[in-house]
Amino acid sequence: MPLIRKPPSAAAPQTAAPALDARAVLEALARGNDDERWAAARAAADFPAAVPALGDALAHEKSPTVRQALFSALARIATPQSVETILPFLRSDDALIRTEASDALLAMRDVAWPFVPVLLRDPDASVRTQACVLVRDMPSPVAVSLCCDLLDSEPDPNVCAAAVEALAEIGEASALPALMRCADRFRATPFLEFSIRIAIDRVRSQVLNPRA
Amino acid sequence: MIFTEAKRYYVERRAVDRMLGTRSDSFEHYFGRLRADVQGEIEQFVNAFTVNETYFYREEHQLVCLTSDLLAARLTVKPRGEPIRIWSVPCSTGEEPYSIAIWLLENWPHVDEYDIEIVGSDIDTDAVALARVGVYGKRALMRLPARLVDKYFEADDGASWRILDDLRQSVRFTAVNLVDRANTRLHGKFDVIFCRNVLIYFDDLARRTAAENLFENLSPGGFICLGHTESMSRVSPLFDVARFADAIVYQRPMR
Repeated sequence: MPLIRKPPSAAAPQTAAPALDARAVLEALARGNDDERWAAARAAADFPAAVPALGDALAHEKSPTVRQALFSALARIATPQSVETILPFLRSDDALIRTEASDALLAMRDVAWPFVPVLLRDPDASVRTQACVLVRDMPSPVAVSLCCDLLDSEPDPNVCAAAVEALAEIGEASALPALMRCADRFRATPFLEFSIRIAIDRVRSQVLNPRA
Repeated sequence: MIFTEAKRYYVERRAVDRMLGTRSDSFEHYFGRLRADVQGEIEQFVNAFTVNETYFYREEHQLVCLTSDLLAARLTVKPRGEPIRIWSVPCSTGEEPYSIAIWLLENWPHVDEYDIEIVGSDIDTDAVALARVGVYGKRALMRLPARLVDKYFEADDGASWRILDDLRQSVRFTAVNLVDRANTRLHGKFDVIFCRNVLIYFDDLARRTAAENLFENLSPGGFICLGHTESMSRVSPLFDVARFADAIVYQRPMR
């Protein structure tokens, strides 16, 4: 019946590698192969001083696997400097990188939150759209009012749609007037009117049947 | 671990239990004890918060997938002679790793041709200690056919059954914290990891860290099975989705 015919100690391959020091981390981030860069990115989370090197590495990294570890290291360091290092990647032409950057910000929401209102006013509509997603996923007492303010002034219907989607998730009764004003403003944009109608129904049903 | 407002009662009840267990007369007194880790209180506190509700042959479809597809896929890329390594994490009180062992013995025709190492790990050291003992009540055995209970257990008394020694020695148990990389790395690389119903308790950052640790613990091409309500795609892009007839699992890419 035994499943092992030789002692487990002989059978178990070991993966424990010596811990990297800060210098070795920087060296491997800059010049290592895929496995070495992955290991260095993971180890870098223990070295807040590595933030600029992580940013440089992200700018050139081609491997999605290593990139994930680089974003995670910045999220684990979780300083305003690491948030600032991630923000430019919200402007990437690659949607995957934009999502990875957004996920990394969500993983350090307390540190990232102060940057979100600024992102909602960014000149780039796609950054404002990403910011609406962050607002949706970072619960905050001012999240609803931020979305409502945006709905009153935002010229781009796609950004408004992202804010409407956020309000459909987090909205409360106070959001209804802003949603209705936005529907009025975009009467000529049927998809947005439709989204707003759904969001209003959802907010109303949440007001009537609040979740536990 | 993350507990929302809805779990306040759950948290309070366990904190009160630990205060009683340590004869602390106020929360301040207990909190001081916890922070100083007096007599390993941090471990006791963590143990109090873990959920150890499970049973044999839970999510059997994944066990079917293991013997129908996953092991065959691993054998096509593994060097001959290397052991097959399977990790059950978290393993709670051992029902899952012992289920894997019984399932393999009953359902995998090649079971005698390979060394198969099954490791069960959990952060709850009390649960790990119980897993090593391997004594179970009726509820844990409810899904196991009576024939298998007779074959792999001996009746302790009318209400509990003990895993046979041979089978007990086929599973190695360890304590592990999934978000502690140094800790997970010590366990080596596995062909298949069962990691069910734990990532849902983590916050975003802990989930990312755990996913990356599990990625490192998988051999290239190795598989990870999550609970049926969980999706690795929502946690991490590191893994590929692998769809089989009996289960959807996740796979570390070969490269």
